[in-house]
Amino acid sequence: MTLTLVSGKGGKLSAKEYPEVAESPRFTCALGGAYGATLAVFGAVPILHSGAGCGMANAQGMTYASGLNSGGSAGTTTTPCSGLIEEHVVFGGEDKLRRLIDSTIRVMEGQLYVVISGCVPALIGDDVDSVVAEFRDRAAVIHVKTSGFAGNGFLGYNMFLDAVIEGLLKPLPVERKLVNVFGLVPNQNIFWKGELRTVKALLEGIGAKVNTVFSDFGSLGSIERIPAAELNLVLNPWCGLEAAAKLEERFGTPFEALDFVPVGPKDTSELLRRVGRKLKIPSRKIEGFISAEEKNVYRYMEYLAEMFMIAMPHAFSAVVADSRTAISLVRYGANELGWNPELAVVTDDPPEWARDGIARRLTEGLEGPSVPRVIFQYDSHTIRQELKKQPLQVILGSSLEKYIARTENESHHLSVSYPTYDRLIVDRSYAGFRGGIALLEDMSHSFAGPS
Amino acid sequence: MTSEKDDPAAKDRINLDDITCPTREQRANGINAFKGKASELVDKARRGELRNCERDFQQNSGCILNFYLTVRVATIRDAVMIVHAPVGCSAPAALYREVFRRLWTSMNRAADFDFHGLTTNIGEKDVIYGAADKLKFAIEEAVRRHSPRAIFILTSCASGIIGEDVEGVVAEVQPRIDATLVPIHCEGIRSRIIQTGYDAFWHGILKYLVKPARKRQPDLVNVASMLSYTWQDRMEITRILAKLGLRPNFIPEFARVSDFEALSEAAVTAPVCPTYTDYLSRGLEQEHGVPYFLYPSPIGIANTDEWLRTLGRTLGIEERVEEVIREERAHWVPKMDAIRAGFEEVKKKNGGDFRIMGSLGQGRLVTQTPFFHELGVSTPVALCQDFDDLLLDDVDDLLKRVGDFDIIVNTFQAAEVAHTARFYNPDMVLSCPFQGSAYKREKGMTRIHALRGDGRRWSAQAGYAGAVACGSFLLQATRNRSFQNTMLQKTGDPYKQWWYDQPDPHYFHRREGQQP
Repeated sequence: MTLTLVSGKGGKLSAKEYPEVAESPRFTCALGGAYGATLAVFGAVPILHSGAGCGMANAQGMTYASGLNSGGSAGTTTTPCSGLIEEHVVFGGEDKLRRLIDSTIRVMEGQLYVVISGCVPALIGDDVDSVVAEFRDRAAVIHVKTSGFAGNGFLGYNMFLDAVIEGLLKPLPVERKLVNVFGLVPNQNIFWKGELRTVKALLEGIGAKVNTVFSDFGSLGSIERIPAAELNLVLNPWCGLEAAAKLEERFGTPFEALDFVPVGPKDTSELLRRVGRKLKIPSRKIEGFISAEEKNVYRYMEYLAEMFMIAMPHAFSAVVADSRTAISLVRYGANELGWNPELAVVTDDPPEWARDGIARRLTEGLEGPSVPRVIFQYDSHTIRQELKKQPLQVILGSSLEKYIARTENESHHLSVSYPTYDRLIVDRSYAGFRGGIALLEDMSHSFAGPS
Repeated sequence: MTSEKDDPAAKDRINLDDITCPTREQRANGINAFKGKASELVDKARRGELRNCERDFQQNSGCILNFYLTVRVATIRDAVMIVHAPVGCSAPAALYREVFRRLWTSMNRAADFDFHGLTTNIGEKDVIYGAADKLKFAIEEAVRRHSPRAIFILTSCASGIIGEDVEGVVAEVQPRIDATLVPIHCEGIRSRIIQTGYDAFWHGILKYLVKPARKRQPDLVNVASMLSYTWQDRMEITRILAKLGLRPNFIPEFARVSDFEALSEAAVTAPVCPTYTDYLSRGLEQEHGVPYFLYPSPIGIANTDEWLRTLGRTLGIEERVEEVIREERAHWVPKMDAIRAGFEEVKKKNGGDFRIMGSLGQGRLVTQTPFFHELGVSTPVALCQDFDDLLLDDVDDLLKRVGDFDIIVNTFQAAEVAHTARFYNPDMVLSCPFQGSAYKREKGMTRIHALRGDGRRWSAQAGYAGAVACGSFLLQATRNRSFQNTMLQKTGDPYKQWWYDQPDPHYFHRREGQQP
């Protein structure tokens, strides 16, 4: 096959390069991110003001892509959607939306209704805010003004939080030791449910109270309780920070940016110490909790150590994941498993201001001589080429790497990031003291025998 | 054979000078809602009295791009798919590299299963300044990376509304590259009927890829099937055709561009789903003289017999077909009899009847309903995704064979389906995967089909082997309902009680143009 494009037939087709043109990027759109965040709040009903396929695209391309999940009781085909077509483009979609919000409140059980507007209303200029405002005295209704072209799914999560802050939150007296947790992005982080549950249990272990907002049964109550926190924790180097800053500005809640969810005892202990100091929890209590948990974990590590030394000791490793997942797994591999991190591909397209910090997090504070090459890339084709550039024995990535890992890298592979179509993730996670054990449990079955 | 080809009405003519197909609404009075007797539906369709409706309460149902067009086009092996859209529109296709690899090469899937898709990732700037240059870059990138034989360009709501001149880009770029550019106009806002997306796809195939026949391939049978047919179904159709000395030309999944080019050389285009295949079949006959038939599909024993007989008449191999049918029946009918006997036992324990409610595409409606009768179960109501004029004769035929029945057309609106399931209270509900809380039931419920990437014999549906596999599956589904029951008891229902208490599943419908 000849490559006649540039040679022979005359010059480049396009005046410039567009790095955002990509094969299978590692995120959905902003509408999807906001939709996923809404589905993650029990009792919240999303109302998509969009074309009829946006919800279905995100059913298969977001919730199902994050560990084969359904969207829950208000997801998939249950989600109300205005199903806009050409006549709405011509005459406007506001009337259709008005009828849809009205009927949804009448038909569907819900504590909170979240109108999420997509590309079509954004392009035709529907005044969605005004329509939503008409329902304020009937139910809790907010509007997340997104579109597919406004950004990726991580930004959609930020936009959801912003709509919550603007539409629902009022000042409350501070509850001592209450912590909100942000930055665990539903679906775009495939372990979000298990991670939230684990982080909550960890912080409660040292005596804090935790509002995870998503994934518990608090529903609208959990959301409304956000301003009562003594501290906001952002476990992500960029996503969720904007909301935390706004909450500080509006309600005076300080925030602690911790960049990642810890995997394994070392980083987990560090997190607890930092949060504990902030909440003025006596260090005796924190250290007591840590040493009990730690002892337990390392005792259990003895059971897996022989398998580990046979199957994947001091492996050259690559992580292909969103920034916070990448940080936690590079650190755990280098600092607790003795892996040699060779490559870290950051796939969530973090904003420019966050990139230096992420790169530092991925390269500083690691044991051993290896420092991973850090690239920011969401184009699956380029990622595939990058993976070929060094020998690897472990690839922690998405299911897009599953067959590549085997055929092009002769490498162990485990899906830990979006999209993940090869394993079911319900409340599994690698967070916390025991997280590393879970990681090894999940990735060792493919090669562990003594022969 | 269908009668249309002897009397081609102007509206049936496919105009490949147009950049795309008409919508199903324009072409065949496609509708998104109906409730009544099947006989009434056919009468009203003939009188032109059916109308689309606007729903005041509407739920996710898929658009013409995202009823899995991206998932399917991405699997064409030596092509690249470019989705000219914001990033979410092609998210469902992110399984392209992983899910279909579960099919084993030992099951005759090709070794080169390395698919490629690109999104132009339309952003804020693009909707202001346009994205034509970006689309050109994407084409360039596709060529540079993969040297494909064809590049499919799929449009979206966003590219449509901002007025992207995709045809202009194609005209400008095509002379400068080897790959054939195939624009597919599947903007989600174009139509309420998702089948329009498949017509748009076939329009692009017919217009750009199918080549004039260099020779006839008298043993080649074009088979286009929906995504809900599994790999086993392909194997079964291959097996049966091989007994007749024929080869299938399967499209679009996993095909090569040359398979599309050769569509014109086939002896016949045979249906696995008439509503899905219709536009392609008509186009191939009109442009290249390839005969076709649309009915029946090879679902169930009797329909498979009839499918083979129609094929035999078209190709002049009636005698051989009868031999094959005899052989096949000798092998499979006893197995079906055993399943039927199993259902007789179930019926005895169930007061003499066993009622199954299927939610079906239009194509499955005319084939699966007779299959239920073959199993000895009854159908109180058929839920149909959408309906158009293309299958009226076939529904007539169905009415003759099985009698009149209730039919509800509802684009699988989940609340309407839930209402209907409560109202008719059948012994078993069959539902598409991804149908929300439909599985929570006191009585039976199971999936109506699996998907293409499923290689298990358990999930087969087509041909003789599929009839037996599917019959066994349904019988198996009558045995234990603890999952459905437990989830019903332990989790909530998304809808308020009044919704079920009032009698009309179409409570929130307004006919097109009707004021509140």
